[in-house]
Formats: sequence, C-alpha cells, structure tokens
Amino acid sequence: MPTPVIRVADAGIRFRRNRGGRRNFKDLFSGNTRRSRPGEFWAFRNVSFDVLPGEAIGVVGRNGQGKSTLLKLVAGVVIADEGVVKVTGGVAPLIEITGGFVNDLTVRDNVYLTAGLHGMTKREIEERFDDIIDFAEIGDFVDTPYKHLSSGMKVRIAFSVISMLEEPIILVDEVLAVGDRSFKEKCYRRIEEMLAGGRTLFFVSHNEKDLRRFCTRGLYLDKGKLVLDGPIDEVLDRYNAQYHS
Amino acid sequence: MFVPVSSDFGVRRTQRSHLTRYRHALWLLTKRDLRVRYSTSALGYVWSILDPLVMAFIYYFVFVVVFQRGGSVGEDPYIVFLLAGLLPWMWFNGAVSDSTRAFIREAKLVRSTSIPRTIWVNRLVLSKGIEYVAALPVLLAFALFTGGSLNWNALLFPLAIVMQAVLTIGIGLIVAPLVVFFRDLERAVKLVLRFLFYASPIVYGFSDLPVELQPLAAFNPLGGIFSLYRSAFFPEQLNWYPVVISAIMSVIFLVVGLWVFKKSERTVLKEL
Repeated sequence: MPTPVIRVADAGIRFRRNRGGRRNFKDLFSGNTRRSRPGEFWAFRNVSFDVLPGEAIGVVGRNGQGKSTLLKLVAGVVIADEGVVKVTGGVAPLIEITGGFVNDLTVRDNVYLTAGLHGMTKREIEERFDDIIDFAEIGDFVDTPYKHLSSGMKVRIAFSVISMLEEPIILVDEVLAVGDRSFKEKCYRRIEEMLAGGRTLFFVSHNEKDLRRFCTRGLYLDKGKLVLDGPIDEVLDRYNAQYHS
Repeated sequence: MFVPVSSDFGVRRTQRSHLTRYRHALWLLTKRDLRVRYSTSALGYVWSILDPLVMAFIYYFVFVVVFQRGGSVGEDPYIVFLLAGLLPWMWFNGAVSDSTRAFIREAKLVRSTSIPRTIWVNRLVLSKGIEYVAALPVLLAFALFTGGSLNWNALLFPLAIVMQAVLTIGIGLIVAPLVVFFRDLERAVKLVLRFLFYASPIVYGFSDLPVELQPLAAFNPLGGIFSLYRSAFFPEQLNWYPVVISAIMSVIFLVVGLWVFKKSERTVLKEL
C-alpha cells in the first residue's frame, strides 16, 4: 500500500465566537490547552483521514462546518489546535489565488513573484512563462501593471500561475465560481488533466455537479465532526438526505 | 496547449532544503518591497537618501545654528556625527514601525501561502537594511567633504550591522503578532519610537549624557550600536561598555521575539 500524502489524525481547531472581542495576553500564549475557553468553539474535532497519492477528495458540508478551514490546515496556512496534520510533498493551493499579486507591479513581475513564493525556481518559471500567459489569454498585457487588468483577467492569470506549479497536491476552494463560462470550463479541463497526471486533489465546493465530476471520495463534515468518509456519491446522498429532503 | 505533466513532481522539490526555500522566499519579498517602492516613485533611490538628509539639516540647523550645540555636544564635523546616528536610526525606525503592519497589510498573502511566517518580519528588516547600506556612500561623501576622517574602527561596521539586525528582528517578532490582537499597539509603538529617538544617542553622543544616567542608558541597545558606527569617524566614541550590554540586550530581544512569535503564531493565523 502506498504511503499517504496527507495524514490527518485527531485534528481539531477552535475559533473565537466574537471577533474583535476583548483579548488578553493569557489567551494569546496558552496555545495548546485542550479545554475550550468561554467565547470559543471548536470548528471541528477528532477529524482523522489519510489521503493516498492520486485520490480526489471532495469536502461536503453546510456553511460554517469547517470545510475551508480543513483545506487551510492541509495548505499549512493555519495550524491545528490539537492532533496532527502531515502533508508530504508540495501543495498548490488555489485559495485566495489573487492574494499574492501586487497592484503596482507588472503582470510579468507578479508571475515571477507568486510562482517563486510557491517554491518555483527562476529557471522553472522562465520555462513555463509563455504557457502561463497563454493559458490566461493575456498575452498583450504582460508588461501592464496588475492593477489595470480587468477583474476577470486578474483571476485568470492567478489561476494560471498556481495551476502550473508542479506540486503533487492541488487544493481548490470554490475559486472556480469566478470568470466567464468558457474560462471556467478551461480551468476544469486543466484540473482533470492534472488529476489524470496522477496528482492528488482536495476540493471544497457546494456544487454537486462539480463534486461528482472530479472527486471519487467524499468527506462529510457536520456539527464539528467528520460524519462520513466514503465514495463521493454515497457522501452526497447522505448529505442530501439530511438537508435537502 | 498545456505543459505535459511530468510524473516526477515533488521529487526535486523535496531535495531543495528548507533553508534554500526560506532564503528564496525572503529574497523575493524583499525585492518586491524595494521594487514597489522604487517603481512607483520617479526619484526612487533619491528618496531614501533625501529623507535622512533633510532631517539631518533640520537637526543641524536647530542644534548647531540655533543652540550652538550647548558648547560641546557630539563631535566635529557635527553633520557626519549626526548622519552616522541618523541613518541607522532610520533603518530601525522604519523596520519597527512597518512591522506593526507586517501581517495586516499582507493578510491575503499570509492566508494563501505557507512560507515560514518569520519571513513577514525579516523581509522588512532586510529591505530597510538594504536601503541603509545603500545610503552609506552618502555618509562617506559627507565625511570626505567636511574633512572628517575614516579610521580602522570602520571594520566594526559589519558587527554593528549584525547587532542592529538581530535587535530589529527581535523587536519586530514581538511587535508584529501582538499588533494583530491589540490594534492600539500600533499607535503606542509609534509613540515609543518618537520617544526613543531622543532617548537614544542620535543628536548627542553616549558620553554626553550625565554620568549618573549612563548606566541606565546603556540598556538602550541602540546606544552601543550607534557608538560602534560612529567610532569609524570618531575613535573616542567607541565605548565598549554600552556595546557589550547592547549585544546582550539584542540577543535577549531576539530570543524573546522568537518565543513570542512561536507562541502566538497559531492564534495570529486564525485572526487574519
């Protein structure tokens, strides 16, 4: 049996209920006490699963059940309060993809910056640069400051950069709800291609059609727990039975 | 027209060490900071020199022309003495006050990239430090122009730069995460910095302080660091007593900073 690329064991994370409420130094530094303090709630607890290379996982659940948080744990941009999240190999996170782009710099500089921050070397970026621009269909705007691009172009170039990262794990968090239909379809084909290339997908969406299209296995988060871990159809049926009947 | 997806991805990447990736990301963000600063203004580099120069002339006017330096404060040429303290102060001041917004300004990027979080502070110290080093030729030009002289103590410059970097990183690591929770701290830091400007030997020298104040003032780590810088032009400014204390203080700040940062990192990430 191949070794898992993502191992999540007994993971839990808690948040404050009232943002901007009063804080004191004690809250700040008591990072790993297990009990919940007043004003805090666990987004989820005791979540455990392994993901094997090449699997395509869809995370299902109602709003606020911690789907995006789970994705962020895997991406390494938040840290679990308990349990272990171990990810072997690099991650290409399609989360807030336009976040790293700087308004005042040109598209070219931005591509080098973002791809570089995600671990690509300069030479790798150079090799791929034309493909990135082609995919985003913004060949005429390579030396335009990023702020002058239309919002559609911004998303296109951002998706293009992240999707060119040669990382074994792809994380997708509803970013594909943007852009026009033909570009969206292009992104989907790109994701399918990457899946065919043996990459691992971790997908958060409310769109049942998309989930069934890409994923083979589903994780159902509800009421702070991982309720079901099984084939995506089974997971979606259970979810629908509970909330859409 | 897609790039064929190779099947060996991840293999090469894991071979690149963490240190290489850290340096790579740190350098990218530092370069970005500098490029943004210079590409959006016509004068670019000139600004980073003009700012301390104008300040230096203001202080020169106030303290030399108006107050006649009370007789014997600092050294001659005073403008070199002043700049030798003012330029590194700009580095310290700029990096610490920027670090109050280290996370808030880059929240989107912090939320989407999993680079080691200390980079968000270190890049500020590095980019301001590069500006400082780039401004040093101006200091040298003034020294030559006003008939000052450079001596062998200039070899202590790298030591002073390292000490200041350690100190500034330490303070940045304390300030940056705490501001995320206590927004008031942003203004408090600005206020403390303004106080610190006059509490540190910038417009005066360490030895100009009353003798009974000196033991207390030695605990301001900037004092020792600035006296190292100044000794390159004024050998009698070299006073090892505050230097040793400020070296110890700088290391303490760094250790405390790393501890605070590590302890609060998890909560900071949730808060952004």
